[in-house]
Amino acid sequence: MNAAKRKLALLLPVMTLLATLVSACGGTNNNAGSAAEPSASPGTQGSTSAPVEGSRSVGGLQVPIVADKLEFSLWSPSGGNFRGTNFNEKLSFQQMEENTNIHINFQHSTEASAEAFSLLMSSGKLPDIIYNDLWGTDSGKYGAKGALLPLEDLIDQYAPNFKKILDGHPDIRGQITSPEGHIYYLPNLVLDSQDLTQMFPQVRSDWLEKLGLPMPQTTEDWYNMLKAFREQDPNGNGKKDEIPLVTVNLENIMMLFAPAFGVEYGFFVDNGQVKYGPNDPRFKDVVVYLNRLYKEQLLDPNYLVDTTFQTLTEKVTTDVAGAWFGWSGSYMGNFTTLMEGKHDTFKIAAAVPPKGPNGDQRHVSFRWQAGAHGLAVSSKTAHPEEVMKWLDYQYSEEGILLNNFGVEGKSYDLVNGEPVYKDEVTHPTNGLTNTQELLNHTIGGGSWATVADTRYAEQIREANGQTENPLEIYKDYIDFDAKLPPVQFTAEENEIVVPLMADIQTYVAETINAQIMGRQSFDDYNKVMKQLEQMGIGEVLKQYQAAYERFKGK
Amino acid sequence: MAVPLNAAKAKSRKLPTSRSSVSLKRMMSNRYLYLMLLPTVLYFLIFEYKPMYGAVIAFKDFNPFAGVAGSPWVGFKNFEKFFESYYFFRLLKNTFLMSFYSLLFIFPASLAFALLLNELRLKKLKSFLQTVSYLPHFISLIVICGMIIDFTKPGGIINSLLLGIGFITEPIQFLILPEWFRTIYVGSGMWQSLGWNSIIYLAALSGINPSLYEAAVVDGAGRWKQLTHITLPGILPTVLILLILNVGTLLNVGWDKIILLYNPGTYVTADVISTFVYRRGVMEADYSFSAAVGLFNSIINFTLLVLANRISRKTTESSLW
Repeated sequence: MNAAKRKLALLLPVMTLLATLVSACGGTNNNAGSAAEPSASPGTQGSTSAPVEGSRSVGGLQVPIVADKLEFSLWSPSGGNFRGTNFNEKLSFQQMEENTNIHINFQHSTEASAEAFSLLMSSGKLPDIIYNDLWGTDSGKYGAKGALLPLEDLIDQYAPNFKKILDGHPDIRGQITSPEGHIYYLPNLVLDSQDLTQMFPQVRSDWLEKLGLPMPQTTEDWYNMLKAFREQDPNGNGKKDEIPLVTVNLENIMMLFAPAFGVEYGFFVDNGQVKYGPNDPRFKDVVVYLNRLYKEQLLDPNYLVDTTFQTLTEKVTTDVAGAWFGWSGSYMGNFTTLMEGKHDTFKIAAAVPPKGPNGDQRHVSFRWQAGAHGLAVSSKTAHPEEVMKWLDYQYSEEGILLNNFGVEGKSYDLVNGEPVYKDEVTHPTNGLTNTQELLNHTIGGGSWATVADTRYAEQIREANGQTENPLEIYKDYIDFDAKLPPVQFTAEENEIVVPLMADIQTYVAETINAQIMGRQSFDDYNKVMKQLEQMGIGEVLKQYQAAYERFKGK
Repeated sequence: MAVPLNAAKAKSRKLPTSRSSVSLKRMMSNRYLYLMLLPTVLYFLIFEYKPMYGAVIAFKDFNPFAGVAGSPWVGFKNFEKFFESYYFFRLLKNTFLMSFYSLLFIFPASLAFALLLNELRLKKLKSFLQTVSYLPHFISLIVICGMIIDFTKPGGIINSLLLGIGFITEPIQFLILPEWFRTIYVGSGMWQSLGWNSIIYLAALSGINPSLYEAAVVDGAGRWKQLTHITLPGILPTVLILLILNVGTLLNVGWDKIILLYNPGTYVTADVISTFVYRRGVMEADYSFSAAVGLFNSIINFTLLVLANRISRKTTESSLW
């Protein structure tokens, strides 16, 4: 190999390298300039306000919405429990198409990840309708950028069903309005207060019985119970393999215990003042308490690594986990079904939120009537009126039934005027869980821009052998004034909050975990607060306070 | 292979302007070769050079709905945001150390592995070992990380082994201890890439003229002397070029692997520039910020590359250009 040849042979890789180095940071602009072109229908162009011949009224909305079939594109993650590949396989959407004469082209991403959504939005090419879990906080941001269509006027004109709900529940409007006064998304709605609770403490009540312990009431009860789980071999295999308290993340553990000490892990409201938990002197008590649990191996020593629901399920179903903080369906119901016939005594009970040493007792895992998830409309859509009408249909009585129960005669029957799921749905014999089977028929009232029907959760719960509603007991511990509502920031506020919180969250996650694991001393908790002050928590809180007051003033 | 090489050669040679008519004539006579080169040149222009334009969003407040051209200029604001970050120096240090250790351990190990393979007389054994060592390269990263998590668990194979031989008395929580993170990262990286990285050396080794070895044997040189006097000098240019290229990527770490393995317990050593940008930029959809950090990374990498190349040219006469 002579020198010249060697250089030549290397020319190509060098060029490649240089090019990829620089292009690595330029890759985000693909298609950014090109305007979005939402799917237009083959037939009608523009909007027709005159009612379609032979139409009927659904709560004031005329269906079918159009005479000639229209097509809209809709982006949505398909979710982990859905076994099909396209939402049009669901009978409810087929029926909806027949009723409204609008065909939806679903674009699915398999995972409901923030990245997938982020990438969609950055492409600049948006479908007509976009689903997102975080419209509650994101819709204002994207709306201000011009990506989303302001809906408030369209709602007034074309959405009689949704408007009726807004008028009947005045709080909802504030929960979905952006700082500039626009509504950019239609949320999932829960109108019955006992359905607002989300996750809650769950305990192996058969272990309690076996060890002769009462249901825990206070943080000390919890400590004693977990200690007994660890030391008295409740699973009876002669090994000390119990992991008393399991979790997929620290946040869930914090939701369980932090309120008992008067704080939360994130932002909360204390007498009208927005506060940040780790910046509150009371937070030290939380750290001390959790450090005690960790030191005595009552809290899963592997909680930072085992962060998937799968590993948690494994610990519960191998009979080593004693307590956790989770959902009614995916945790309590799911585990109960999985252990049916495999374990003689397996039983889970809901525990009240623990009461702290100073008498603090509060349940913080609950949602607002308007969920953060729902559907938004692209600003580039060619048919704003028809899209609005289709969205309104989701909130009509007919639409709510379709979204919660599916198609009559297929997945439910009307018994005395009440929808009741068929047995094939609540007790499927095809190897699916009833949640999965239900998703073959419909979208599920809790995860769509519609109203979650309270009868839906009730019937599924009863089918899973839970006769009492575990959520009932939390009603008394919910304090709407202490939880930070879904506030939205203006662009300027966002500019301040985002960079400061990126550092603060890194610092807090790192420090609090290290203190819980005993790798860092918590004796001088003032140091943490001083550090947070230095990192600009004061400035952040100012923005939160402003956003909160704006929210309250609405 | 000879054809495009000739064409490239003709292009790369610097010709004085007075001879431009001559070179034009030469181009004409080789026009089919140039035609064959065209697709490659187009590829680079379209897919590698044109996207560089996107880097301007580092100096803008990029809004996808206004487009690159429509977004307002903000000067160095995005860079300032990054430099002002409380963790800037820690991120820089972690990023550099992670790459540096990878280079320090994996680079010589691959070379040594190639040399060892080259000394094997049994052809079958050699190809068997080669195949086995490549395999990890083809396993999906997500599977690799799943394996690492399983192996390093308190009840995993590594802890069981260490407990079994009495090296430790309590299982070590490898993945939540910051002091172990770099070891795990570099160690698993070596397992993943050792065989794959050795391929290029083996190729260079096979290019050494066998008659040199024969001559050396006649002169009475043993295996060791052959290694130090023929093999190593023979592949030195390749080694140096690869080293230069590696130095040029010192600030690029395999962030996806880190994302899959790190947690707040190990941020101290595991949080690198790209993971921070991921948490801060992509999750918050702040593309301008991400682009600014990417550009900063590229500039540092490019500078390192040029420096390493210059040093190499001065000291060994092997260089990229």
